[in-house]
Amino acid sequence: MKQAKNIGLSLLGFALIAAGIALIKALPDPQGILRSLPFLLVGFGCGIFGHGLGDALAKKAADADPEMARRLEIAQTDERNVMIGSLAKAKGYDMMTYVFGALMVAFALMGAEWTVIIAMVVAYLFVHGYAIYFRVKLEKEM
Amino acid sequence: MKNRLEELRKSRGVRQEELADALGVSRQTIGSLENGRYNPSILLAFKIARYFGMTIEDIFIYEEESK
Repeated sequence: MKQAKNIGLSLLGFALIAAGIALIKALPDPQGILRSLPFLLVGFGCGIFGHGLGDALAKKAADADPEMARRLEIAQTDERNVMIGSLAKAKGYDMMTYVFGALMVAFALMGAEWTVIIAMVVAYLFVHGYAIYFRVKLEKEM
Repeated sequence: MKNRLEELRKSRGVRQEELADALGVSRQTIGSLENGRYNPSILLAFKIARYFGMTIEDIFIYEEESK
């Protein structure tokens, strides 16, 4: 079942890449949204294709070598590894706060279009709102 | 927090890999526990105590932090 999903995702990714390339070839002078859509399709397609194929190959390798699969599962669920991963993500989140902030100021000083700056501010506030939501949720749960 | 994990493991002739396998953790976690770089969760502490047939207090030595 999982393998069928992985193969389905790979095929979907491949179809998106093919559609993107076909649009690039078919439209020599694209206008409006068609200027970026083919490249978005190729980008999303590559991501989905790589993800699906990677998972499918990992599942195949795990089926062929159960001992390796067991070790991999231990490595993924090991409490120290999980804690290290969470701490590293938290550090990355703190750094992202500063980098996003600096980037927004830089864009504003460069006189970038206000829609770009507003989009960045909304994304910045969304990420922080998400963190606050989980903080409140976890405070209640623990 | 200090612990007697390495002493107990060696006295029973168990390798780090074997202990890690029995407890369902990585070998690196056992290494970190043994040299005091990592303190286990209460669940892992119970698993370790059960593995050696001892109590948690027999294995892990809590030291009050000096002010």
